[in-house]
Amino acid sequence: MKLAQLLILPATLLSAVLAIPEYSEHLHLRPLPNGYLYAGFNFTASTSLSAYESQHFRYFPRSLGQILQHSHTKELHLRFALGRWDDESWGSRPRDGKREGGTGVEIWAWLDSGGGKPAVEERWSSLVNSLSGLFCASLNFIDRTKTTRPVLSFEPEGTHRGGGDGMELLHGTLPHEVVCTENLTPFLKLLPCKGKAGISSLLDGHKVFDANWQTMSIDVRPVCHVGEECRLEIQQTVDIVLDIERSMRPRNDPIPRPRPVEELECDESKSYHASDTCYPRRKEGEMAWSLSQIFGTPVRGSCHVADGDESPDVSLEISPDRAVEVLHSGSNETLMSDAQDQRLRVYRLSDSGKYTDISLIQQIIQEAPHQEQPPLYASRQITGFGQERGGMHAVLHNPHTYPQRIVYLESLPWFLRPYMHTLKVLSHPTTSHDQPATPVKPDKMFYTPALDRKRGTHLELLLTIPAQSTVELTYDFDKAILRYTEYPPDANRGFDVAPAIIRVLPLNSNSTAGNGKTQDSYLRTTSLLLPLPTPDFSMPYNVIILTSTVIALGFGSIFNLLVRRFVLAEEVPRSALAVRVAGVMGKVRGWVRSLKGRMRGGGDGGGRAVGGAGEAAGGAGGMNGISGVAESRKER
Amino acid sequence: MALSARLLTLRNSPVLLKLPPYLSALCIVIGIAWFFILPLNEYSRQTYVSENAILPGQVHTYFGGSEHNVFRAYRQEVYQLSQFSETDRLAALEKVLREIGLKVAAQPYHFTVAGEEVKGTNVYGVLQGPRADATEAMVLMAAWRNFEGEINYSGLALALTLARYFKRWSIWSKDIILLIPADSTYGPEAWVSAYHSTSPDITATRNVSSLPIKAGALQATVALDYPVGPWGHRFDKLDILYDGINGALPNLDLLNTAVAIASGQMGIGCTIHGMLSHSDSYRDRLTTLAKGVVTQSAGQATGPHSAFVPYHVDAITLKTVGDGWHDEMSLGRTTESLFRSINNLLEHLHQSFFFYILLNANRFASIGNYLPAAMLLAGSFTVTALALWVQSGQVAVGPATKMEGTEKNGAQPELEVVKIGDAVALVPAATTKPAEREMLLPAAVVLAVHLASFLPLYSLNSLHRQHLPTALQTTIATSLLLPALASTALTRRSQISTQQIQIMQSFSLLLLGTSLATLATLNFSLAFVVGVLASPLSFVRPLPRGTTTGFPAVLGRVGREYRYALQVAMNLIATLLYAVASPPVVLYALCWYFSQDVGGLLLEMAKGWSVQGVYTSFVIWAVWWPAWVVGGIALCRGGGER
Repeated sequence: MKLAQLLILPATLLSAVLAIPEYSEHLHLRPLPNGYLYAGFNFTASTSLSAYESQHFRYFPRSLGQILQHSHTKELHLRFALGRWDDESWGSRPRDGKREGGTGVEIWAWLDSGGGKPAVEERWSSLVNSLSGLFCASLNFIDRTKTTRPVLSFEPEGTHRGGGDGMELLHGTLPHEVVCTENLTPFLKLLPCKGKAGISSLLDGHKVFDANWQTMSIDVRPVCHVGEECRLEIQQTVDIVLDIERSMRPRNDPIPRPRPVEELECDESKSYHASDTCYPRRKEGEMAWSLSQIFGTPVRGSCHVADGDESPDVSLEISPDRAVEVLHSGSNETLMSDAQDQRLRVYRLSDSGKYTDISLIQQIIQEAPHQEQPPLYASRQITGFGQERGGMHAVLHNPHTYPQRIVYLESLPWFLRPYMHTLKVLSHPTTSHDQPATPVKPDKMFYTPALDRKRGTHLELLLTIPAQSTVELTYDFDKAILRYTEYPPDANRGFDVAPAIIRVLPLNSNSTAGNGKTQDSYLRTTSLLLPLPTPDFSMPYNVIILTSTVIALGFGSIFNLLVRRFVLAEEVPRSALAVRVAGVMGKVRGWVRSLKGRMRGGGDGGGRAVGGAGEAAGGAGGMNGISGVAESRKER
Repeated sequence: MALSARLLTLRNSPVLLKLPPYLSALCIVIGIAWFFILPLNEYSRQTYVSENAILPGQVHTYFGGSEHNVFRAYRQEVYQLSQFSETDRLAALEKVLREIGLKVAAQPYHFTVAGEEVKGTNVYGVLQGPRADATEAMVLMAAWRNFEGEINYSGLALALTLARYFKRWSIWSKDIILLIPADSTYGPEAWVSAYHSTSPDITATRNVSSLPIKAGALQATVALDYPVGPWGHRFDKLDILYDGINGALPNLDLLNTAVAIASGQMGIGCTIHGMLSHSDSYRDRLTTLAKGVVTQSAGQATGPHSAFVPYHVDAITLKTVGDGWHDEMSLGRTTESLFRSINNLLEHLHQSFFFYILLNANRFASIGNYLPAAMLLAGSFTVTALALWVQSGQVAVGPATKMEGTEKNGAQPELEVVKIGDAVALVPAATTKPAEREMLLPAAVVLAVHLASFLPLYSLNSLHRQHLPTALQTTIATSLLLPALASTALTRRSQISTQQIQIMQSFSLLLLGTSLATLATLNFSLAFVVGVLASPLSFVRPLPRGTTTGFPAVLGRVGREYRYALQVAMNLIATLLYAVASPPVVLYALCWYFSQDVGGLLLEMAKGWSVQGVYTSFVIWAVWWPAWVVGGIALCRGGGER
């Protein structure tokens, strides 16, 4: 069997040469305003489905492949994210936000739905537990309470047999998970060059996690091209935004201590400018930087392992006026703009030579940096204070001149209990503040209410955000009280609530505004901290509570004895009202009985009437009921 | 049952019936004495940092060097801004913040206080912590004008310099919000209430616009108050202001951290309540304690930080005092170190005390030590209330003199013959007999007086500031007349009985006692102060009227005509004393004692009530005042026969 596979191998390789390479990597660099640099690493490997099914792995990581096979996962998306994307100054998100995750860890996957719900849950559990071990992340804490099944927010990216039937989507988040070096190391281990050569050699934990925003993603999906065998593709990306100034601080002196007075750049136009008074001047122009300064190391060698991989490794999206130099094994060369796109410089790492570095000098560029406006601005906050109630307030702002359809997904933990009747979606134009807000009716709404300790809330809204307007989404919620043992050790920190995921749907091709995106894009709000009522776990309060209870019990009983007057039950006089009511009732009853007796006629009717009268007399006399009855019996 | 039977017999024990006034007086005496033992070493403790994560003063601070040049420039800039118009100033501030690299937003607000409009705009910037995920934030506040109304030149300049310096660090695990409110009361209140408001709209009641940028849960707030002009002034000590609205206090850990950093790391002495020279003697500790109690009981804002505390955001103000050798850089390093410590926090500050009274910057009395003082005072009212209740259940048989039991001339108790079967016994005749309590009228009176208390409460908090002193004078006049008039009306019209008077007083005192006991757990100082001021109410009994009732037996030999005159004189004195103990008169007296303008005090109270939700005036008018009025009705009713 294995021999046969080995024999087949050259054949598959041959086909690979003609088609897409089995492995390629790419680094995209783009300076952002205010001294930031975006670096997007992309590593793509693939294997044919037949090789995958026969457990033959080459560039596709075996450890991950086996997990996917075991858990019958058709398509996997895994995200590790930290920080936030500042879309006001950095513009739209890289890769349309499709390779981005909410703060912490996020995972969604399409699993084979054969065998019914229990089987799917079993597979999901096995998937997250195995991945947890593989990536040193607490993914195993994604249990049923943290799993949702979104309907509208995600669609499979790959081409699946049967158009996606027989698959089920499950989505889980861990907003509290702190992404760290221990997650990066296994991530790099999946690469063919293991971070030792090629652009992945730049990925150093110190720099990646010093970034203002960073997200790591792993996406596994089947890709089919017409006339070719379907392939299983794994795409690993690392997107980071670095503060150039901070990253370039030398490693032996990382403390941002105040600079010597001579190095201060002062605004000398200020009237009070003096040798000891220095108004800091705003930095102008683009900063000088180089790969080795920012990442602490130049690119080591190259990782051109797959055949047919001719694509450039590094691309720079930068103003055509900037000078870019490539230092490669002691020689400098100037990197020129790409023939097709003036804003792009591309470079393919040389297979010979040890180190490659790219450096830019400080320049003042007149031209404003090109920036694409994000499709939508979104923010979400918890409002209110106190330990009982709160509110959620999401603001979605559409800056464009055309309306946009979005899917708004929230998966809330069960201890946050939203009141859906308080859900309000109000829209008001951004341009004029005087106009009253108009309610927006969601086109569709999917809502799965939470079950305590079993299931979280899943809320999905399909909304249309009018052009140039702001939509505010609010609802109220209650905070549940957890059981004593359900609190984590840092109970007073609060509980993390996963970010809302917003999918901006593509505009219809025949829509009037032609400048909208044709592909959907994603954005995520920041995660939230929900303070829950927390018992005081400290000893003194328990003591106070206990002693107070004991004192209250003792005081209560003694107070009761002192103040209350004890009399025999018979001594209690009946209240005047009760006596009067009883008298009236007795009279009525007697009258009814005598009426009945008269209707029937005969002697025994008279006896009853007498009894009734006796009762009435007893009532009127202020006796209790028993004596009244006794009297009437005597009369009988 | 044996125990309860024995207890039941106790009810009629003459000793027990006479005990309550003494018990009540004892409670008051012990309660007040308790207050005076708190400064002793045995009843207070040295402060300590309880939260392990804070690590105060463990980091090296780097703020200094060329930052001083930047600071001087910012101070000049702030000085220039003070010459601008308000709109220009706000725009320029926003520009400076933007240059530093913060996300900038502004928040206009306006309040209506005592018939006047207060308007302003808060400017704030968010420094997004590079490693923060927008879930937590700390606030660095420098109000444009400090609490005394001076322009906070150096404080604001220092905050700007610090923000610029903080921007370079990558260690922040929480966002830092630089808040520049227009003043120190309304601005912070508007900002923090909008930050926590559940409604995104401008509400008609608060007139505070919502905040465009937020940064998660606020962990702590540090306000800088350093109103020194462009030429600088070196200070001697840091005064740490910590009182929040309604006597809520920030977590003691925050205060301790500030003190530990300032005095331990930077060598800047710290003071509390402006006690510049504190020798740690009993006298100084007691003064600090008394100042703390007065400030806390007022419940008013003491600085820009005060507005944050009710929202469970621990906040303090660092105010520079005195002439010394510490410069702005020392304050800057203190603030830097303080923010580093807060940044270390993994959880919201919760470890240390929220209820404490400080005796100096590093000595405090905790709730377990001080609470009995207020509780005993509140208890004194309850004891009297219970005694009156028991008394009201027993109506005197025969002449009322029997009740008093003041005859010392050995009068024999009347005896009566009791025959049960064959047995004959001679027993003392009962001087009292159980009686039904008629409770409707007393309850109605108490309720009516409490409802009437909303009149002074409303008028003193809502009228225009010009009319406030007049309103107080009117309140005094009506308060003094009300008990007499009400009592006459009740006696003439409703034929109110002594028993009903007792029940009425009992209800009122019970309410006062429970209210104060509850209040003591929220705002100890207010409960204690009101308890002390209202303590005479426990001893109010109907004034003796007529010839013999309740007349001191010692004066028995004095002639009849003198007796009458003496009684009138004594009644007059009692009434006068009672009038002096009335809430509005006490307010006047307090103004005189602290040499404050009455109008100013009333304006502060109205401001606190309508803007910050200070409930001190509610306690005065709706808890203390009704109890005083009901006591007055009882006093004026007179102890004559039914």
